[in-house]
Amino acid sequence: MSSSTLSEGRKQFIVDGVTQDCRADGRRCIDFRRFQIETGIVSNTNGSARLRQYGTDVLVGIKAEIGQPKQERSNTGHLEFYVDCSSYNTTEIDGHIGDFTTQLTKSLERIYDSENVLDLKSLTIIAGEQVWVLYIDAVVLECCGNLLDCISIAVKAALYNTRIPGVSVNDEEGVLELEISDDPNDEKKLSIDKVPVIVSCNKIGHRYVVDATQEEECCSSGRLLIAVNDRNNICSLQKSGTGSLDPSTIFEMIETARQAAVPLNQELLQTLKREERSNNDKCGFFAN
Amino acid sequence: MRKDYQLPKFYDRLVCRTGAVSQAVGSAYIELRNTKIICAVYGPREVAKKQEFNIQATVACELKFATFSCRRRRRHIQDSQEKEYSQIIVQALQPVVRLDKYPKSQIDIFITVLQNDGSVLGGAITAASVALADSGIEIFDVAIGCCLRQIGDLSLIDPTYLEEEGRLNNEEEDEIVTNANVTIALLPSLNQVSALIMNGELDVDSTQRIIKDCLEGCIRIYPVVRECLTKSLEEKMSRN
Repeated sequence: MSSSTLSEGRKQFIVDGVTQDCRADGRRCIDFRRFQIETGIVSNTNGSARLRQYGTDVLVGIKAEIGQPKQERSNTGHLEFYVDCSSYNTTEIDGHIGDFTTQLTKSLERIYDSENVLDLKSLTIIAGEQVWVLYIDAVVLECCGNLLDCISIAVKAALYNTRIPGVSVNDEEGVLELEISDDPNDEKKLSIDKVPVIVSCNKIGHRYVVDATQEEECCSSGRLLIAVNDRNNICSLQKSGTGSLDPSTIFEMIETARQAAVPLNQELLQTLKREERSNNDKCGFFAN
Repeated sequence: MRKDYQLPKFYDRLVCRTGAVSQAVGSAYIELRNTKIICAVYGPREVAKKQEFNIQATVACELKFATFSCRRRRRHIQDSQEKEYSQIIVQALQPVVRLDKYPKSQIDIFITVLQNDGSVLGGAITAASVALADSGIEIFDVAIGCCLRQIGDLSLIDPTYLEEEGRLNNEEEDEIVTNANVTIALLPSLNQVSALIMNGELDVDSTQRIIKDCLEGCIRIYPVVRECLTKSLEEKMSRN
């Protein structure tokens, strides 16, 4: 939604509400919307997750394929992201839809494709030659603000769900052959201890708001993306959008985001563990 | 202790010149130790008709590493890192330029990194603002870029290429040493941050500390830039 589509009165209402720590939907400034998460719902993937929130629906699928390592990091595997917004029908995108998705993809890649986040060494099969490449694709089915944060939560859930098959390397007369095992017990899980979620902090009036709706995003005078992991450490910062911020504002935003991220990370981990234990048959994709 | 010189402190070898490209409206050349960056500004020019109407000016930036500038040979086509850098530079400079003064027009910034020895993004931001100031396009302030690398307890301002990638030599395998890279663009006279990017893993206190350190780094660069701009202006005045 571009800022021009929101009336001045509505903007004033939102800003005043935020000032009193009571937003249009009754949340406080540091509250996230409640979300539902399902994992392991796409059978052709190595890991998948779907996040549903009021007005937002994101599906993430992870496929692990054997490929060549990147030139600059020949001893580790890597991640490749793609965000598909084609069905995402909104007026938020002012410019070209391609630019918008590229920006999302870039931010995700920068934050997640790092040794600080995942043990990329464990994805190596033959150092310098064959590694696992995780293709992480997000499809945005519906969106109501705060898209990047939602995708990041779904990505974390999908990584938790990802199983990488075991591979054995056979040396046959100097020719290396890879054999992928189809034994489910031989599968490897990824550790998500250090995987962060992204919290976008918006400055509205004199307060900081997380998980902004589309309307609130229009009233935002500055935005900072902050990636926080389970140990409450900051994994990434990125100023987003136009405009500039005061240094003290940045420090307050970091603190706000950390406060918001603690319950978010805990809740996510609990939900994922509960979901894994229950292991019941998923009924229909768009059912319930 | 750093390999190339003692004491990990500040840009003591920052060279900044304007007027590096004679055809351009404004240009700058910056040297941060072995990192050499050249920047040219063209415009404001009319935008192509097919693009949508914009009451404000748009800033476009194209950063390119020269193919021979890094350890590994770069390709001719802009890769994803170069595109990302270009985007951050645009973000850093948008609040600097008086966009309302140039409706329906575009300002083009071309940056070529001739030699990469770390801190490229910070240097490129500074170079671009110096070139903008040199071009006479109206600006509110100059954006000063600065990079910082944190390894464990060690903060390295203006890291070299090796320092940007490297970890501590005495690091033991099982010991987790936190590390992070941060780049900031500061508008010193307005005291505003126009770009901030950090990667790594740090707790909240350390994050705040390195941001402060990096801001201090920006402030230390500012006099050099200011001196360079005054000098170039004096030269221009005496020529006329």
